[in-house]
Amino acid sequence: MRETGADGIWIRAAAWTLAALVLLPVLVVVWRSSGEVGRAWEDVLENRLWGHVRHTILLLVAVVALALALGVPTAWLVSVYDFPGRRWMQWMLLLPMAMPGFVAAGAYVDVLEDLTPLYVGVRMNWGIDAFLKVQEVAPWVFAVGVLGSTLFPYVFLSCLAVFSRQAAGALEAARLLGAGGFRVFFTVAAPMARPALVAGGSLVAMEAMNDYGVVSAFGLTPLTPGIFRAWGEGEPVVAMRLAMVLLVMLGVGLVFERWQRGRRRFAADAAEGVLGRQKLPWWLGLLALGLCFLPLALGFLLPGWRLAGWAWVSRDSAEWAAHGRAAWHSFSLAGGAVLLVMASAFLLVAGQRALGSRSVTVAQKIGLAGYGLPSALVAVGVGAVVVWVSRNVPGAGGLALSASVSGLMIAYWVRFLAVGIQPVAAGFEKLPGSLREAARTLGETPFGALWRVDLPLVWPTIIAGATLCFIDVFKELTLTLVLRPFDFETLATRTYRLTDEGRLAEAALPGLGLVMLSLVGLIPLTRWMRLSEK
Amino acid sequence: MRSIRNKWGFLGACLIAGAGAVDAAEALHVYSHRHYEVDQQINALFREKTGIEVKVVNAEADQLIERLKSEGKDSPADVLVTVDAGRMQRAVEQGLLQPVKSEILDKATPAALRDAEGHWYPFTIRARGIVVSKDRVKEGEVKDYADLAKPEWRGRVLARSSTSGYNQSLLASIIAAEGKEAAEAWAKGVAKNLARPPQGGDRDQIKAVAAGLADAAITNSYYLGMLLNSPDAAERKAGESVRMIFPNQSGRGTHCNVSAAGITKHSKNAEAGRKYLEFLVSPEVQKMYSNGSFEHPISMDLSLGEQIGKWGSFKVDETGFGKLGELSAEATRLFDRAGWK
Repeated sequence: MRETGADGIWIRAAAWTLAALVLLPVLVVVWRSSGEVGRAWEDVLENRLWGHVRHTILLLVAVVALALALGVPTAWLVSVYDFPGRRWMQWMLLLPMAMPGFVAAGAYVDVLEDLTPLYVGVRMNWGIDAFLKVQEVAPWVFAVGVLGSTLFPYVFLSCLAVFSRQAAGALEAARLLGAGGFRVFFTVAAPMARPALVAGGSLVAMEAMNDYGVVSAFGLTPLTPGIFRAWGEGEPVVAMRLAMVLLVMLGVGLVFERWQRGRRRFAADAAEGVLGRQKLPWWLGLLALGLCFLPLALGFLLPGWRLAGWAWVSRDSAEWAAHGRAAWHSFSLAGGAVLLVMASAFLLVAGQRALGSRSVTVAQKIGLAGYGLPSALVAVGVGAVVVWVSRNVPGAGGLALSASVSGLMIAYWVRFLAVGIQPVAAGFEKLPGSLREAARTLGETPFGALWRVDLPLVWPTIIAGATLCFIDVFKELTLTLVLRPFDFETLATRTYRLTDEGRLAEAALPGLGLVMLSLVGLIPLTRWMRLSEK
Repeated sequence: MRSIRNKWGFLGACLIAGAGAVDAAEALHVYSHRHYEVDQQINALFREKTGIEVKVVNAEADQLIERLKSEGKDSPADVLVTVDAGRMQRAVEQGLLQPVKSEILDKATPAALRDAEGHWYPFTIRARGIVVSKDRVKEGEVKDYADLAKPEWRGRVLARSSTSGYNQSLLASIIAAEGKEAAEAWAKGVAKNLARPPQGGDRDQIKAVAAGLADAAITNSYYLGMLLNSPDAAERKAGESVRMIFPNQSGRGTHCNVSAAGITKHSKNAEAGRKYLEFLVSPEVQKMYSNGSFEHPISMDLSLGEQIGKWGSFKVDETGFGKLGELSAEATRLFDRAGWK
């Protein structure tokens, strides 16, 4: 039953207002970047642009490659073979997801320095050129290592779903026909897992593209720090043009994926059953366990252990008051953003359901797209809007970026609206439409039916979405660094700043706080994995 | 029940009274780029002496200036503190500071290092020098900044990123003294000689020289002071293994910047602001800086601190000081062209 009339118009208007707000930063950046800049842009074009682009490409390719190298074999091992510790590994390999890259970077950045005797050895034995090469490559190895080993679970998770469920039937058949482990992997599993690889790989690429904390800790300069630098130097138009370059690169990536996929279609059927796992001989089992342990150690155990040690050592001298203030800021920002995101997500999804309207569906899609926008672009786009409003609207001076969290809130909302929409939409999908229709027939108003029938039923998914969104905002660094009012620290910016100043031991405590909270976000995931086990 | 309510009422009254009392104390609002421990001690001492509470808001100088601009007349700030004369010059250009008349300040600070109309006054000197390894670099081998650009130093020099204001003002001083082309050639030469892509702060460069990664590093002198006086034995040892050099002594002198303070245009408490500025240059406070953050006192009186006494006297480059602000954009451009990240 579709609603019509006045209510419908209001819902449409509200949905489109939200969609317009998501599009706003992009539109502002597109529009403003065509403006006059003069000399500053010429300088960037001449001296910096190519370096930024090259570093971006190199970083994304290397990080995605490492994430695939760590995520695919581990997913294959835990879903196809049986070995001691497999059940533990299956969920423990998700732990690196709870280790924000910039926190892990703090645990590795001093190792780069500690390797000095090695560099000196290279200079003594192989000369100055080899030494300089090593110096150039070392920060890359660390930055790519940190990003790859904390992001690979995205690949692991998407491949796990394919190997252990979707492809189970085909894999079983190949095995029965006598194909060995490697052959089954390359001829059956890998092609079937392609969409999963692409999905996991793009998530990794996106996170790497939006990273600021890790690359700046190791001194790399891809586009995201380049955009921030221009913004910080008071050259907003240069920053926006660089953001446009990033957007174009993203577009090229999408087109490339489409083109490469060609006319193949991938049927993503639901579970076809569960694969019977092949038991490995003890020595191979140990090897498998070791292979799974490596990325887990790199991305979680090692940095976690170092941080815990430092936190313990510095516990007495810790500035608890400052940590507490930062934590309070993080909590209140995340709480506020979650309320905004969940209310908007509910409006978009419930509105679409009530109206069945095409235009609201489009608005919802736009809302989802915000998640794919580069953080740096959102930051400068929203920043420019807030600066303009605070300077030109009488009485709005207090909104200035340096003085209020308004810009930050909008930016969080744009980036993380999708995190709210997805679970809410999934929740609504499972509701039989007849319930609502029954309520309407029994005399409920459309709003009443939504409030008294739909909302209680989708409440659990709303809570799940709110939890994920809360954690995403809580540990967000890139947007926060640009848009926060000054003298205003969150746990994330505090961890970053202390790391940046080389006060690693002091950074460990707020960093660990972020890790602990992120662990909570893994609970729904592990529950889902337990279900798929059965 | 009633007694509980009374308790709460009493507590509330206390809180309100307490808040009122805090409000009653005179307060001076300072926007500051400085974040050293010694500054907190100095502000506490100011309160002890005058009864005026110093409330500090910390941020990067550019952000502070931007904030002053957007707040305009409503700004709560009374004093702006930065660690770069160039930033102060820009704040003056944008009409954010008011001139101060004070004999004490005029007497305590050198005319070459302050604003001619008294919009801001310096209170510490920050020398940008060079540290070299005691083991691997002979006495007299490095005398000038120019030495670090020579080909024989390939792979032996360390410096932090060119986005640092310290490097920008150093290059601005070279542009002012020797012109653009010479400055670019110098930046190119040093960039070619770097032992690694710039990373970390000045302190990290000193430690890396101590660890043997390179033989020389460009650094502000007080960072070495902090290492030499660190509670951490490893840091003290690192500091002991290098020698501090104040370059260009036979030429125009060592490039120095200053910590400086000015009273904001819209300050509601300019009188307290003046007192604060005068307090900062008083011998007692100058001594605290010399021994706390190891910066040089504005008078260059080396008897004020043990560490600066050990380093000895040196000539300060005053030639291009007034142009640091206007040349810093050019310096950034030259660094980019030179490939110094």
